[in-house]
Formats: sequence, structure tokens, C-alpha cells
Amino acid sequence: MSEPQTFGRRAFQLTIIYALLIATALFLLFPLLYGLAISFMTADEITVYPPKFLPNGLNLTSYQTVLSRLPIPRYLFNSLLIATAVMLGQLVTASLAAYAFAIRRFRGRGLIFGLFLSTLMIPWEVTLIPNFQTVQAWGWTDNYLSLIAPFVATAFGTFMLRQFFLTIPQELHDAAIIDGCGSLRYLIQIVLPLSRPALGTLAIYGFLQTWNQFLWPLLVTNQKEMRTIQIGLNYLLNEETISFNNTMAGVILAIIPTVLLLILGQRQLVRGLTAGAVKG
Amino acid sequence: MNQRTPITRRFLLKAGGAALGTGALAALLSACGAAGTATTASGAGGSGAATTTPTRPAGTTTAGGSMAPAASGAAGGGAAPGSTAAAQGTPVGVSNLKPPKNPNAIKVSWWFGLGGVLGKAIETMAEQYNDSQSEIYVEAIYQGNYDDTLNKYKAGLPGKQTPNLLQVYDVGLRFMLDSKSVEPMQGLIDASKFDMSNFEPALLNYYSIDKKLVGMPFNSSTPLLYYNKKLFSEAGLDPNTPPKTWEDALTVGEKLLKKDAAGKVSQYAMAIPIDSWYFEQWMNAQNAVLLDNENGRANRATKTSLNGESGVKILEWWKSTIDKGVGTNLGRGTSETQKAFAAGQIAMTFDSTASMRGIVNGVGDKFEVGTGYLLRPAATLDQGGVTIGGASVYIMKDKADREKEATWKFVQWLVQPEQQAAWHVATGYYPVRKESYNLPVVQDNAKKYPQFTTAIEQLRASKQTPATAGAVMGPFTQARAIINTAVEEALLGKATPKAALDKATSEINQALDLYNASVR
Amino acid sequence: MRLANGESLVREQGATKTADRTHTSSARARARRETGISLLYLVPSLIVFGVFVFYPLFKSIYLSLFASDPFGLGSTPFVGLRQYQIALRSQSYRDGLGITLLYTLYTVPLGILIALGLAILANFRVRGIGFFRTTYALPIGVSVGAASIVFLLLYNSRAGVINYFLNTLGLPGIEWLTEPRAALWAVAILSIWAGIGFNFIVLLSGLQGIPEDLYESARIDGASNVRIFRSVTLPMLMPTLFFVLIVSTINAFQSFAQIHILTKGGPANATNVVVYSIYREAFFNFQTGYASAQAVILFVIILILTAIQFLVIERRVHYA
Repeated sequence: MSEPQTFGRRAFQLTIIYALLIATALFLLFPLLYGLAISFMTADEITVYPPKFLPNGLNLTSYQTVLSRLPIPRYLFNSLLIATAVMLGQLVTASLAAYAFAIRRFRGRGLIFGLFLSTLMIPWEVTLIPNFQTVQAWGWTDNYLSLIAPFVATAFGTFMLRQFFLTIPQELHDAAIIDGCGSLRYLIQIVLPLSRPALGTLAIYGFLQTWNQFLWPLLVTNQKEMRTIQIGLNYLLNEETISFNNTMAGVILAIIPTVLLLILGQRQLVRGLTAGAVKG
Repeated sequence: MNQRTPITRRFLLKAGGAALGTGALAALLSACGAAGTATTASGAGGSGAATTTPTRPAGTTTAGGSMAPAASGAAGGGAAPGSTAAAQGTPVGVSNLKPPKNPNAIKVSWWFGLGGVLGKAIETMAEQYNDSQSEIYVEAIYQGNYDDTLNKYKAGLPGKQTPNLLQVYDVGLRFMLDSKSVEPMQGLIDASKFDMSNFEPALLNYYSIDKKLVGMPFNSSTPLLYYNKKLFSEAGLDPNTPPKTWEDALTVGEKLLKKDAAGKVSQYAMAIPIDSWYFEQWMNAQNAVLLDNENGRANRATKTSLNGESGVKILEWWKSTIDKGVGTNLGRGTSETQKAFAAGQIAMTFDSTASMRGIVNGVGDKFEVGTGYLLRPAATLDQGGVTIGGASVYIMKDKADREKEATWKFVQWLVQPEQQAAWHVATGYYPVRKESYNLPVVQDNAKKYPQFTTAIEQLRASKQTPATAGAVMGPFTQARAIINTAVEEALLGKATPKAALDKATSEINQALDLYNASVR
Repeated sequence: MRLANGESLVREQGATKTADRTHTSSARARARRETGISLLYLVPSLIVFGVFVFYPLFKSIYLSLFASDPFGLGSTPFVGLRQYQIALRSQSYRDGLGITLLYTLYTVPLGILIALGLAILANFRVRGIGFFRTTYALPIGVSVGAASIVFLLLYNSRAGVINYFLNTLGLPGIEWLTEPRAALWAVAILSIWAGIGFNFIVLLSGLQGIPEDLYESARIDGASNVRIFRSVTLPMLMPTLFFVLIVSTINAFQSFAQIHILTKGGPANATNVVVYSIYREAFFNFQTGYASAQAVILFVIILILTAIQFLVIERRVHYA
């Protein structure tokens, strides 16, 4: 539009946008904020009716209880280590595989891609026990290996990166190869830098999926020092009467690192391609 | 801080063995060697850093570099080398658990299925035991809830990765016996002439098959009526006399019901959690067995009598509480009813004795919590009674003799009056030994929480019959899910109580057939 | 499996065929080498999948042909396809499939639409937008299990927050977890909430990937916002939307934790989706063989559904 927008119209638009942003954010965040509030409440505050949305004060008892009952720093460290390792592994394996599927031409591509995708559709019940027995036979119980190795490949991430790589013009590949750029170099020097938003998304997803695992870590670990934060959360929950305040304190402690990751990560997601694009 | 260094090093070693992906990457790099390996390799490190940890490219490159050589070996030779190294490298340090004082102590692993306050109490007991002597070191390990614990045990059976001592819920009795992995408790008791005369008879009856104790009762509970004394007073009822019968509950319920101006109910008289446990208890209360072969105790059960007269009566009464408007259905599990009860939204509910402390805490000073016996049909008030719930501990057979002896020693310690008294006070489960009640800790606690006394009185008032000994069957968890569905179908009016129970009966019978066929 | 890759596979085969016909044997050798190198890219993933996905899958198929053993120790009689027959004839298995389908219909379209709306909103370049982007992504950081606990509190029909709000607005409360139809929605709403963060991130990064100059030229042509959305945004976003659709559908079929915590498949089996009943069958009912058969059937169903999605939709997806 050549005609400049009037100040009033722009302000009106902004108001609408902010109103929508704030309303949706509050709505979406409500369960979490409620959980946060509960983590500061005493047991009898949680059960009043009409329900309370704000605690009487910043009561830290639940956090103290949780921290004294469980080795939370250790659990967080384990979860962080495992999730980071899985994330890195997934980025490598998925980039390679997605590159082959999206850009390289070879026989049986469709078939193997289908094979990859099919791994997503296998109900987890099927894999849990045999994998436990595999890991056990290899002597991997109570070992970070058993928590990392089964997850370093991801059909899901491969699929996501493939979708992204497909949007990169094929001509770019052909031109690069003619210019003598090796196939792997093309992937590393051209495709991956172009795909930062997708890689960032995969990194966040891979990290959080691993972070949130419960049954598998429970199965393959016995030593307290090998256990993860989600097992800790389950421990807080598993009582005859659920102590919602303690459980929520645990949930909040477990979310803090993931929130930090999201804050850092969302910058990655957003810059990416737009950094190269012309800004108006 | 000093814990971190070894871990990181260990991790790098292990990750080196494991990183199949990185190994293949190394292979790929060499395959594309024509393009100039040196530049490609440095490119790989740089790009990896850019996509993942942009602020610290140096660290990422180093890690990648140190992994690659080890990994290429693993990719070629399979994962075996990595795994042996890893298994040897597993350390014991850096623990919150105190390490054994005596390095030659016999290690006893104990898997348990309780978290929170209850889990903490178990861990404390293990620590106390370890402090009290130096020959045996008990390692108490949380394995998720009871279901998770049993599933983990099952998964470990073929590879013999089992603990020395396992906590299993009440209804796992038949499964544990049939798994043939359990050292029968009775043999150990007889061999060491351990005195069982002061144990609660109801517990011994429950965990015995053919008069032989299989698992040692550890944490035990019964169902109770919980009521809101304040709401009772407001309705003009005596806050110290809770209703005793199903029939009472309906009349009392009418008075406890509150409606707003529009005729909408603002306060219900009661909510019964949909949990098969209550259904089973009401069978016992009528002195009716759930299964044939004396409730599955004389021989493996083959049929259920769920849809008999007693079962139908239960569901008819349960449904009538809702149809008459005095009761409301808050769904499965007890967390929903607990919350509504603590919020003063319902005047009566049923829950386990072990929930007492949680409920009292949740209520705070909003009102006084009263407890009474589980409501029963008036016609059979002098028959039957309640059955125990909770869990027992099992000693695993497939272990070295000295480990089994050590485990048995620990189990004997666990059920000493002092230990049971401390456990009772910390958790609300009642002591398995009568002597515990003479101890000051228990008596003080009873003064503070008079509600605790109700549970044990109720248990002792119950007559010991095959019905109150409790049903025993292999697929009990499945049966409970089936019963829950039947209750829901009846309450929702999808089927009459009789029809719902008929369907459940045929499903449970089928499950029993399958189980019995697979066990023989 | 050609269906799994729709259009691109067709294109691929065409290329190979012409190559075979017109080029010499040295070209064929080069093609073989190309295939070999390409496979090298897939090796890392294939090894992991082979050990931790396909091996268990085959083991499961094998188990599904045998009667079950509660203790997983001894050998059990071979029963062939009988457990498949039982599953396919079983009313409760078919009901479970129906519920799964319904649940998928509740969660997938709504989940994508809401996330798309949020992504469009968060794509405005206004001050403080980073805060909102993080906020919208936040549910991804909460495990479904943990989220289920909060929702348990929200849904309580007597003392819960949602019914309190409804009552305050003069509306009747909903029996969230005890009324069969409401219960499926209760689980679905939680699933949508838990899935929004991820869908949002993916869709936002898709939106961010659309080159600015496309919008510029559309604006210069005088196109309205709606038109720009329909003719620029949507087509450019199709690969991303397609991805989100496939993944959401698969996730919906695999939902478990929320059901386990909120309803345990109740009331009266209203939320007993197939994956949950397989879980009960395998871990509580001692029917590993039967559970395996059910799982294999489910696997085939998802496979077919996904293949259809690829065949029908990916043909229309515009890639560069």
C-alpha cells in the first residue's frame, strides 16, 4: 500500500494485537500459573472452596520439603546431561538422514523413508520390555548409555528436517556440486546454516522429549545417583493422598531449566532465515 | 563439586563407546575424503556448535573431536567394547544414600513402590537399620508406584535382575506365589522359630495360602468412613455418631444435602470413590466370597461370584445414593474425593487409613475430621467385616544363601514392635504387631489423632472367615479394572447393576481361565 | 512403500529410469556409488532403529503368534494368528479403535488451528514479542504427566477451578471426568494444551522461513491481508503444516500418560483408547502375546493412515 497508514489506525491495530497476545498468553499459561501458585500454598489452602488463585504468602515449605527429600540437583544434572547428549546425537543423525532423503537421489529412497517414518508408529509398549532386556544383556543398566543410546536417532526429527530441506531449491545443490563442493560440505556449509530454525526446533524437541521421559529411566536405573528429574516428580506424586503443593514445587523446579532453554532457543528459531532476508 | 569431574570423564568415555551416530559420521567424512578431509572436519565442528550451543563453540568441538576416534571403533565392532568398560566403570560414590560402613557387608536390595512421606519413611528405616549394625547393608530403591515396581520386577525375571526384597501390593499375592520366584516366608519363620503370635490375625490370614505365610505383612490399611463434623453439627446431627449402615447413610444423607435457591445441590452428603477395593470390602462386609474355591484360597480360583445377590445389592445401594441425590460421583481414584471432602463440598467419603494424615493436613482447621467404620448393610451387620489392604514384602528365592539369610534378618527387624510403631506414626498404616500399641509413641499419637484408633478397632471387630481373609487371584489388577467399569456403567445408567455385573463376571471368568491355563 | 513418499518418489523413479536408458555403464556405476554414499548418511540412524525399534517390533510380531506367559520365562504354545482374530472380533478392541479415532478428530484439527493462530499472532513484529513467543511455547516444557496433575485439580467437578468459573458465569458445571462424553473432551483438551507448544514452535519457524520479499511484492500488487494469507502464507507453509498434521496424528494415536492419570480409560471405557488398553493388556493382564497382536494391528492402521495422508496431501504440498 502506497498510502501511509494513519497513526490512529496503527495504534488501533497495535491495541488489538496486544490484547490478543495478552489474552491468549494468560489463557494458555493459566494451568502453569495455577500450579505455581499451588506450590506456595499449604495443604489446606489448596482445598478451600471457592478455590484460591493466589497463595497467602510466599510459603517456601514445599520447596524445602522437596529439596530435602530428594537429591534434586543431582537429578537435574542427570536429566540435563542425558537430554543434551540425546539432543546432540539427534541433530547429527537426523541432519545426515534428512539430507539424504531430501536432496540426494538414490534407489529405494521412498522405501527407506517409509521405514524411518514407520518407527514413529510403533506403540511404545512393544519396544519397552525388549529394549530393557537388550540393555540389560549388554550390562548397560545404571549407566548413562542406556539412557542415551536408544534415542540418538529420530525419525521424527529426520522427517522435520527433510520437510525443511525440501524447501531449499534443488538448483542450489546442483550448482554447488558442479562448483566442486563435496556432498557433505554442501550439507554442512550451506544446508545446515540455512536450516537453523528447523535445527533449533529439533534441538528443543529432542531435549524436552528426553527430559520428560519417565518409564524408561525408571526401568533401566536402580541407583539413586543415576536417576532423572521425572522419577523425582513421580516420587512426590506417589502417595496415598497427593500432596499437590509438593508435587507442584517439584514440577516448577523441573520446568525452570526447560524454560531457560526455551528463552534461549526461541531467539535461535526466530533469527535463522530472516537474518539473511532483506528487512523492510 | 568434586563429584562432577569423575562423572563427566566417565560420561565422555561411555559416550565415546555409545555414539554410533558420531562413529558413522567419521566414516562418512573419510568417504568424502576427496573433497578435502581437513576442511570438512573443521566445518563439521563449527557447524555443530552453531546449531546447538552458539555461545561455546570451543567446547562442542572438543567434545566432538574426542568422541570420534573411539566411536569409529564402536561402529565397526558393535557396542560390546563400550559396554564392558561402562559396566566396570559404574561407581558407588556421590550418593545421598550413606555408603556401607563395612565394605564387606552383605548387600540387600529392597525395591519399594511408595513415594512422598511414605517413601521417605521407608528410606529412613533402611538407614536406621544400616546404622544399627555393620554386617548387612540395605539399599532401599524406589521403583515407581506399586504397578511400576511389579512390572519392573516382571521385566527383570527372565534376566534374573531382581532385588533381594520386594514390596508388592496386597492383590499381587497369587502372582508372586505363581511366579515361583519367592522364598516362602513360612519356611524361614519355622526354621528360625520366629514368634508370630502377636501379629494381627487378619494380616496373617490374608497373606497365607494353605496356612503358610508367603509374604511378610509390612504396610497395612483398612477402609474407613471419613466425615465432616462441622457439617454434621450444622445439619443437626450428632458429630460424634457417624452412620453405621447403608440405610442410615441415606437418611442422614437427606439432612446433609444442601440446595441453593435454584434447587441446585451446593453440598452433597457423600461421594464414594470408584475403586474396586470398596466393592470388594462390601462383599466381605456381607460375608460373601468374591471367588470360588474359598475365595481362591483352597485352590486357584476359577469363577467369580461377583454377580451374585451380594454384589448386585452393593451396586444397587451405590446407585441409589446417586439417584436419591445424596451422593455424587467424582470418578475413579481417591484424589478427587479427597479434594472435595477437604474443601467441605461433601460431608462423607471413604478412604484408606493410610490417607488419614494427608486428609487431616488438607482439611487444616477448616473443620474437624471424624472417622467411622466402613458403612455396611444393616442385614449383615453382625457378619463378615473388613479386609486388609496395603502391601507386604517378599524375599526372592533365586539368591545366594547368605543374601537370603541377611534379607530375612532385615525383615525380622522390620516387623519388630518398635519399627512398626515408628512406621505407623510416620505414615498412618497400622502396626502389624499388637505390642506396638503399648509403646509410648503410638499412644501419644493416638491422643493427638484419635481417628487412628478407629482403623484397628474395626479390623479387630471383623470376623475371620474365607470372605474377610480376602480374595486371591492371579489377574486381580485386571479384575479390578473390570469391576470399576461395571460400577461406572451402573452409575451412569448404561446398564442395570445386574447386567453390568453379569458382563464383568464373564470377563473376569475369562481372565481367570487364561491365567490358569498359562500358569499350569 | 512407495506410497509413503508420494510425489517425490515418483519423480525419483522417473529420473532413475531415464538414467538407466540413456547413460553408459560408467554412469550406472556412478549411480550405484551415489546410492552407496547416500546409504552411508542413513547408517547412524538405521543402526539405532535396527537395535531399538525394529528388533523389538519383530520380537513383538513373533510374540503375537504365541500364547502369553505371565512371567515371560517359559515357552508357550504356538497359536498362529488366533490372537489377531480375537482382537479383530473383539467388540472392546473395535470400540477402542473408534474412541482413538474420535479422540484424534478432537485433538488434531483443533490443536493445529489454535497453534496456527498463535503462530500468526506471534509473527507480528511488535515490542516484547519474544516474551509471548516463549510463553506460547511453554507447554512443551511440561511433561504430560505433570500437566495431567494440574488438570486433575482444574477438572474436579465439585472443588475444581473450571466449574467454579462456569458457576460464576451462571453456567452449569460439567462432570469432566465422570460423564463419558465430557471425559473424552477433558483428555482431549489437556492433550491439545500439551501439544500447542510444539505445534506453535514448528509453525512459527515455518512462518519465519517465508521470505519477506514475497510479502513485499504481494503488497505492492495491492493484495489484501486475507489474500496474502491465502496466496502467499498458506502455500509456503504447506510443508510445515503437512509435517504438523502427520506428527499430531501419530501422537494422538499414541497418547497415554494423560489417560493413565486422568481417567484410567473410564468412565465406562469412554476414554479407553487402543494404546491404553494395550498397556493394560501387556502390563496388568499378563497377555503379552495378545497385547502384541493388538499393537501390531494398531501399527498397521497408523501406517495405512499415514500412507494415505502422504498420498492424498503431500501431492499438493508445494516445495521449492
